[in-house]
Amino acid sequence: MSVQTSSPGPITATGTQPRNHDGQVIAITVFSTIKLPGRLFLPVLFQVTRRVPKLTATLRELSFIHFARWCVIGKLPYNGPPQKKGRFRYPHMYFESNFNGGWEEYIDAFSHILTSGMTAFWGTSYGFPKPLPTAPFKRYIQDNETEADHYYCAYPDATSTMIQRALELDEKLAALRRDAKRMQPDAFAAAYRAFLTDAQNAL
Amino acid sequence: MRRTRSSTVASPNVSGQAYAFMAMTPVRPGEEKPLADYLRGLRDRGPSPLAKLPRTHIGRFVIVPDFHHDPTWKQRREEHLDLNYLIFTSNFDGDLDSYLDELCERLAPEAKEIWGRCVGCPESAKGAALKRYLEHNQIKTGMFFAAYGQATVGAVKSSLRQRDKLIEFAIRAQAMEPDALQKAFLSEFDAVR
Repeated sequence: MSVQTSSPGPITATGTQPRNHDGQVIAITVFSTIKLPGRLFLPVLFQVTRRVPKLTATLRELSFIHFARWCVIGKLPYNGPPQKKGRFRYPHMYFESNFNGGWEEYIDAFSHILTSGMTAFWGTSYGFPKPLPTAPFKRYIQDNETEADHYYCAYPDATSTMIQRALELDEKLAALRRDAKRMQPDAFAAAYRAFLTDAQNAL
Repeated sequence: MRRTRSSTVASPNVSGQAYAFMAMTPVRPGEEKPLADYLRGLRDRGPSPLAKLPRTHIGRFVIVPDFHHDPTWKQRREEHLDLNYLIFTSNFDGDLDSYLDELCERLAPEAKEIWGRCVGCPESAKGAALKRYLEHNQIKTGMFFAAYGQATVGAVKSSLRQRDKLIEFAIRAQAMEPDALQKAFLSEFDAVR
């Protein structure tokens, strides 16, 4: 059986600045300037995407993402001078992602698997070069990315896949635990072997 | 799990029971470097202060000096930030109200060094005044994706521990007879959680 514990393993977070990762987890922080049509289009896109879970299924399949968010900012809250008051001339989109693996591989996967989604989200941003080919898109992200000054993850040694599988495993193990006391040893041994076979992907 | 009604009704800040908070605050001119030095040095001084907030999955502080421009973009007019801005984001469990209460109490020493360098931050940089400041500067999320938004930090950590324990057990129990296997399993897992 191929198993991997959640104790510190080799760091797979590569291709980014040192302050952009905590253990296995990488931070990406990107601002892009939105063309005026995006001011109307993006809020609708966000709302539709939130309401139709199928649209985020591919994002979920990219199992190396922990959390990601998009925000459209048209105006910043005013806090008094010397801050200037008023709306931005253009809305700006804030994107952050928390993922594991390499930066390059992350952008490659996004570009190849979420091609239409990427175009929908960034298509109204100035300078967006389309997701494919990936080289210009990587340059675009790098140009617009800001390195984190401090980054924290509560479980830095765990990948997103490891967490999702551990959570699945929990449910299966709970069922076996519940039944174990009532079973005869032979029946338990058979149930345990079936459990291990079933849970193998989660280990 | 503590949740308020407002945070659970299809809020774009919420996915499962996880909440995406973002505050963007202007840095006082002259404080950009001291703030960056402080934030960048946090790791050298020990565990992250965000570890004091056990409901935090992942958080970050980012100082944004300006927006990026490129003449080839055909953007009619360039737009610049008036000041450097500090972004704080957190992906945490439950509702914002009680999370900010915890943050403003437990992070009071660090908050003075962080938001205390921002325009409009109350002098004390703690408690109810800091909470109002962070609420005032909250940026609403458009879309929030959480791969395991139903699981709290505690559940994630516990599942990972359980998984490690099962792996160790599976290796140890490979040659056990049914009776010994059942006894060992019950002894290992029956009392857990």
